[in-house]
Amino acid sequence: MNDTHMPDAERRALDEKLVSYLDGELDAAESSQVEHALAQDARVRRELKQLERCWELLDELPRDEVGEDFTRTTVEMIAVQAEQELADERAELPSRKRKAWLLAAGSFLAAAIAGFIAVGVYSDRENKKLLTDLPVVENLDQYRQVEDIDFLRALRAKDLLPHEPDNAPNP
Amino acid sequence: MVVSEPSAERYELRDPDVRLMLEVRDDSATAFEELMLRYQNRLVAVLEHLIGARDQAEDLAQEVFLRVYRARKRYVPDAKFSTWLFTIANNVASNARRSRSRRREVNMPAADNSGSTGAFGLDQLALAASGLMPTRQLDKAEMRDIVRLAIESLNERQRMAVLLSKFENMSYVDIGAAMDLSPEAIKSLLSRARLNLKEVLQPYLDRGQSPPAES
Repeated sequence: MNDTHMPDAERRALDEKLVSYLDGELDAAESSQVEHALAQDARVRRELKQLERCWELLDELPRDEVGEDFTRTTVEMIAVQAEQELADERAELPSRKRKAWLLAAGSFLAAAIAGFIAVGVYSDRENKKLLTDLPVVENLDQYRQVEDIDFLRALRAKDLLPHEPDNAPNP
Repeated sequence: MVVSEPSAERYELRDPDVRLMLEVRDDSATAFEELMLRYQNRLVAVLEHLIGARDQAEDLAQEVFLRVYRARKRYVPDAKFSTWLFTIANNVASNARRSRSRRREVNMPAADNSGSTGAFGLDQLALAASGLMPTRQLDKAEMRDIVRLAIESLNERQRMAVLLSKFENMSYVDIGAAMDLSPEAIKSLLSRARLNLKEVLQPYLDRGQSPPAES
């Protein structure tokens, strides 16, 4: 492994494989390759053993448990955070209510304007029709006495009927 | 990141800590406390050896738990809970190191590079490893110091990968997820890290001896 005659790239590749082998990260084919190399080469076996022993030495690193103070202060920090979130939410509530009210009022206003325009357009159309038909309505009783539409048309052609607007429909 | 429904369900089914975190998302204080109790020692241990100072490690661990709590409403299980937690821990530690090095640039331009908290400095380790220093038998505490210094000799990324692998038994895929690196990059990172550790530790293993204590 540390053989100076072994090219660097090859040595790096073998080192990576040995480490991955120790970590159980190789697939069956790669594991088999490493095991073959281990069976064939004492230097590879020595390298693997050294890597393994050094890794085991890391168990010497202390892993002390945290004190009760740590748990308590962390819980307190979280409680403060939770309170802060609640306060922020409460502070946002009036503004949220105001937004909802404005939205409702805006919607109502828009609906009212749309309704007003629609009613205006419709009633205008009705009024125009009434205005157009006014001469007929005014003289309806006389027209009914005639009972002959052709006679009425003849009178109209001779301009003997009461004044009609320009856009009056034909009888 | 968009997480598919089956993937989230899979983690929820397999990882009890994911289920606890989902309860935290629904504002369960007891679930959060349970998660904290399960992870506080593990998190502080990793951070302590990553940063090299116990007090700061505890402060950072609290910061990590606070971030977990703040992020609860956005939590979607797209990995094991431990992977997610150590991703946050890695970010928090990186930020702390950055701000610490900025402060050091401003305040302590000639700071001691060893960062040693034990009985030996890295220069002594190198000398001892060369076999030029008189030796004596190592005791357990000294061996612990040497291992600690060997860990401190690694760069930050190597150290994090080693700690997650050794302390948390995390796979390359999970370490990669926590450190935002590919499994291939982790493979190469861990390989270099373990060779570096071997370079420092092997002389002591061969001889079972340490450099003499400083007079």
